[in-house]
Amino acid sequence: MLGFLVGEALRDLRRAGRVAVSAVVLITLSLAALGGFWLVSSNLDRAVAKWRDRVRIVVYLKREPSAGDVAALLERVRVMPGVAGVVFIGKADALRALKQVLGKDAGVVDQLPANPLPASLEVTPSAVAATPEGARELLARLAALPEADEVAGSADWVERLAHWQRLLGTIGFGVGAVLAVAAILTVTTATTLILHARRHETEIMRLVGASELTIRLPVLLQGMMQGLAGAVLALAALVVTHSVVAPRLEPLVNLTLGISQLVFFTPVGVAALLGAGALLGGLGGWLARASREP
Amino acid sequence: MIELHRVSKVYSVGPVKVPALRDVSFRIGKGEFVVLTGASGAGKTTLLRLLYRDDLPSEGDVEVLGYGLVAMRRSEVAPLRRSIGVVFQDAKLLPVRTVYENVAFVLRVLGTPRRDITARAFDALRMVGLSARAQAYPAQLSQGEAQRAALARAIVRRPPLLLADEPTGNLDEAMAAEIVDVLKDIGAGGTTIVLATHQARLAAGLRRRTLTLEGGRVVKDEG
Repeated sequence: MLGFLVGEALRDLRRAGRVAVSAVVLITLSLAALGGFWLVSSNLDRAVAKWRDRVRIVVYLKREPSAGDVAALLERVRVMPGVAGVVFIGKADALRALKQVLGKDAGVVDQLPANPLPASLEVTPSAVAATPEGARELLARLAALPEADEVAGSADWVERLAHWQRLLGTIGFGVGAVLAVAAILTVTTATTLILHARRHETEIMRLVGASELTIRLPVLLQGMMQGLAGAVLALAALVVTHSVVAPRLEPLVNLTLGISQLVFFTPVGVAALLGAGALLGGLGGWLARASREP
Repeated sequence: MIELHRVSKVYSVGPVKVPALRDVSFRIGKGEFVVLTGASGAGKTTLLRLLYRDDLPSEGDVEVLGYGLVAMRRSEVAPLRRSIGVVFQDAKLLPVRTVYENVAFVLRVLGTPRRDITARAFDALRMVGLSARAQAYPAQLSQGEAQRAALARAIVRRPPLLLADEPTGNLDEAMAAEIVDVLKDIGAGGTTIVLATHQARLAAGLRRRTLTLEGGRVVKDEG
């Protein structure tokens, strides 16, 4: 029976001819657009997550506390809401770090009469505090410490990156949705033609007592086949584009965003794209059927 | 097998009511060959459509093969139709399929195991004398051959009831006689047959029970 249903669906596809080809092309375009934006968005998402982990807030202290006071100060900061971790950097540590940064010019530091660098606390915000709002609240709490002289750092630029990532995702969804609607309408048109072409078959099927499922399924299947064909083509286009573009872009994104590799879809993502194609096509087939059969 | 009790059918064309059947009652037993005759518009096609539940009566009861068709749920229509073969004046063959494919199509639609389809389709084609034309397309058939192919399609499921609506209407006398012979053979196998025809000579020549319709009423039941 399955062979019969699939055979009828393939026969219907051949009948639809160019309209079916148009539907497949539109589904390919819509899923390629949707998938392309999804890929860019998911790679940006990785960059955002990575940079959120790297957000640090530095609390410069008025004076270097004694070894005994450091432990108490660290404990007070550690229990603050929004703090994931805290490290004490003494004046000597800060100077060593500066020398490392200066490299061969480190000798300049030795000319100084005294160490000018303040002791500080390097605070790692938790996920909730790695947002502009959360970071602002944490900054206020840290600034209120009696030992604090100045507080530096924010999560603003990470948020700007996240904003772009969300914007790209929304644009991708919008473009994909418009093309998807066009694809559904084209499948509906193709299916309407098919329904007209197969009206004699349908009449005979009803006359001999075929079940409604047997009558309806080939039409639904041909729609899903159009959708699946479009999804496979879109996936192939994305694979080719990714394999050509990713090696050329990776050095640049590594430098700017700090991600070494532009990833492709996971198996779940691939399955979702194929499923979306089948769903678009099936929906077009179902709409044509529903509009002709009250 | 078939029982109609005070059946009427009225079609509404806008505000105008057109009666197609009026107070029709009769009974047809298992294995009977009944000819339904009358002029065009007498109600023959309407009556047959009620029998395979393509339409419902405005009044009265229709019982076919043990099914009460008036109270029947939509989901029960398909099982009823699996037990009824129907042939029309125009053969209604699928033009893009061969004669064999047209006959086999019915079996495939109903989920008959693949290994049985070929044998059963050729049995039906042999019965109507068309096995040599199995690979021909409908456009390559004469009208008589097309009608025999339609008959093969109707009997391939070996239904206990065969309804034939003017199957000889488009045929010359010789071809009509061929179809009638095939119908007689099918009837001889125990199938109940209801043949609707406006051709009075053909009806008389059959020498079977004949119901004559006039203006939607059964005016004669003889033979």
